[in-house]
Amino acid sequence: MTRTVPPAIPILDSDIQDFADMSAALTGFQSSVLKPALDPVGLAREYYVFAVQQVGESAMATLVNAYRAIKTQPAQQIADTLLETSGASPSSQAQLAQSIVAMWYLGSWYVPGVLGGGGFAPPPLQVISSAAYTNGLAWRVMQSHPMGYSQFTFGYWSQAPGPLSSFGVNTGNGGGGQ
Amino acid sequence: MSKNVPQYDVVIVGAGVSGNLIAKELGLAGKKVLILEAGLEVPDSREEYMENFYLALAKTPEAPYPALAGRQGSQVNPVGVLPDPSTLPTPRATVLSLGQSPKTSYLVQQQPFAALHPQDPKPQNPPADDKGNVRGLQFSSTFERNGGGTSWHWLGTSLRELENDIRMQTKYQHAVDWPITYTELQELWALAEAEIGVAASTAQQEPLEVVGLQYPPGYQYPMQAIPMSMVDQAVSNGVAGLQVPGTLPDTPGGGDPTLYDVFVTPTPAGRNSEPYDDRRVCAGNTNCIPICPIQAKWDPTVTLGKALDTGNVTMSYQSVAYNVAVDGQGDTQNATRIDYYEWSRDASGAISKVSKSVTGKVYVLACHAIENAKLLLLSNNWKGIANISNQVGRNLMDHPLYLTWALAPQPIFGYRGPLATSGIESLRDGEFRKYRASFRMEIGNEGWNFSKGDPYTTTMDFIQGTNNSNVNPPPGGSGQPVRLGGLKLVQQLNNIFTRQFRIACMFDQTPLAENLVKLDLDEKTGKPNNVDGLGLPRPKVEYGLDPYTMEGFRMAAYVCTKVYEQMGATEFTTNGVGGTGDFTYQGKNYHYYGAGHVVGTHVMGPEQKSSVVDASQRSHDVQNLWIVGSGSFPTVCTANPTLTLLGLAFKSAKSILASLGS
Repeated sequence: MTRTVPPAIPILDSDIQDFADMSAALTGFQSSVLKPALDPVGLAREYYVFAVQQVGESAMATLVNAYRAIKTQPAQQIADTLLETSGASPSSQAQLAQSIVAMWYLGSWYVPGVLGGGGFAPPPLQVISSAAYTNGLAWRVMQSHPMGYSQFTFGYWSQAPGPLSSFGVNTGNGGGGQ
Repeated sequence: MSKNVPQYDVVIVGAGVSGNLIAKELGLAGKKVLILEAGLEVPDSREEYMENFYLALAKTPEAPYPALAGRQGSQVNPVGVLPDPSTLPTPRATVLSLGQSPKTSYLVQQQPFAALHPQDPKPQNPPADDKGNVRGLQFSSTFERNGGGTSWHWLGTSLRELENDIRMQTKYQHAVDWPITYTELQELWALAEAEIGVAASTAQQEPLEVVGLQYPPGYQYPMQAIPMSMVDQAVSNGVAGLQVPGTLPDTPGGGDPTLYDVFVTPTPAGRNSEPYDDRRVCAGNTNCIPICPIQAKWDPTVTLGKALDTGNVTMSYQSVAYNVAVDGQGDTQNATRIDYYEWSRDASGAISKVSKSVTGKVYVLACHAIENAKLLLLSNNWKGIANISNQVGRNLMDHPLYLTWALAPQPIFGYRGPLATSGIESLRDGEFRKYRASFRMEIGNEGWNFSKGDPYTTTMDFIQGTNNSNVNPPPGGSGQPVRLGGLKLVQQLNNIFTRQFRIACMFDQTPLAENLVKLDLDEKTGKPNNVDGLGLPRPKVEYGLDPYTMEGFRMAAYVCTKVYEQMGATEFTTNGVGGTGDFTYQGKNYHYYGAGHVVGTHVMGPEQKSSVVDASQRSHDVQNLWIVGSGSFPTVCTANPTLTLLGLAFKSAKSILASLGS
């Protein structure tokens, strides 16, 4: 597979780690799944760079700083706060958080605030990379594999899958970090 | 070279299911064969096509395959930036261009009704004419034009037709009979099943004796059956004891009150349950359409490889046939040459073409039902050949596909396994075929991927607080749909996705002479309205549905709802109004999709006056011309067509060999 090469902009490793930890809280997955210590795919960096290119460094920094201010809270509370799930209409910052969740789930960039219609999701701007597609969390949520990228063997479909907890979900409600 | 000695024994146009099989059979018999393939060569590795698929914004059937001429610039399949077919050497019909104008749609056809009537305060469907037919509809099936053909993205379904499928006129006084016996078809299916490597068990198919399915004594498929999915098992258990009548009240023309059993059987499949032909065992990628990543599913490139291995078959890619030259008159015509454009495209995208000719003793048109008709009509300076019957291009059929979807009461884990592994075949035959279209019901293992574009639509609904999926209605019935994040999002999506499933019903559509493909020529001047990038007139399609077929839809909607009720599932089927594939019948709206089962443009039959080819798919008019593929089917029947069209190609190969004197 060809990969998107991140541009040479100065990024601190700590920014990537905080982005991954924030993403874990937002998505309901374990941070170690999104950004393993030894990371053969590098999606957290790829996504961070892609999002910064789309919305600018300042919008991203504001969101990550908002996360840093509440990072010790329970993960669900962090998600609800940053996504403003109880608010009437999400702020532009919460819409950016939505796009980040969509990126992790679907491997594609959905322009913040653009809603679907006519019975279908909005068209994404771009599938970020083939690795982004094959690592989408939506497939884990359904206890399966990406369509076109099975990790299983012949006949698996005749029996129930492993439990949801075996697909990297953060079933506890600890902090967004480890 | 001498002008009088043909360059090849056989010249075949099109490297798909039929063309490749005939090339292989003739090559094995020592005949010299040339295949003219309009599109690009088969790639050394399907990784390139997989990359196209991964990066495509919409995972439509065409998504993996080269959208543009030449490899450059073909890495994605952009939504909203569809290529202009008049700039492409081999444009094709695509799902993304359905309902579009000829600026993006290769097939020239009627625009959706709402687009034609923008002044209507509410969108409407086209009205029926005085015979109850709805005309002006869109033909929704698409096809590929590249090495290997459209069956790169066939599902693998390898059902046999039923005995009454091929004798509809005799048995039910509807449509036409096939000019071939069931016994002969059984022999041809056995050959086709071995070529493909069909996985199935005759014992498991035995219950379908109630619809007349029978195998010769002792027959066994090449390999063990594909296991039923959890979705199949849930439907099979859920419908236990369900019976439905043959027809509903108010069926025009009469009724069949007989009660028919509804039950599920595993689907014979062209995918490996065991290693076969040096190909891998299915890993359940849930991606048969648009592309199997590991070629566990047979596709025509497998047979093409065997054809080339004979050493007697030559490929000419990027070679678009545009004329079959014919000498003689009446019953004594012979094809003498095929003219074609060899095209190339430079880095700037500019197309260049060189006109060439090739000669053979025998010619075989095998380039898809629509392209076969187009080539016949293009020949003889656009006056057409092999058309004494005036049936070339007519009787265009599909399996119009009615899609319904539901949530099971408990997790049944779709999105796992091959796209479909079972179906309800028990309603494919009965007295009701006098009054309405029969159908088979395919159970999907892909959640609401086809139905709603999931996982995308439902995921975005719960992230953004929308309800495009209809599973995120506002709590309490008013206000906004919920927005979720974190574990709550995971749990809600898990709850929805693991219960999603769908059923697709495919109808034995009536053959109608007025459903047709023709050249898009100005009726007064005879000049082309729309052309492709080589300057050739494009195919124009006229299409509609008759009451017999639409009554099938009404029954299918009823049966699906009964199935869901019996299972305790909640149905979510919706039908649009005014768009591509929308129609109204007896006051209810329906939507059809294309199944890709394009049939009937050069029908076979016993007589020259009413059919284009004979049972060997040999032209009634031009003695050394075979016109092969699903276009030869007199009716579309109740099984997916690939197995049968491959079987018929065996018969054609045998008759070609006989004509060559071997």
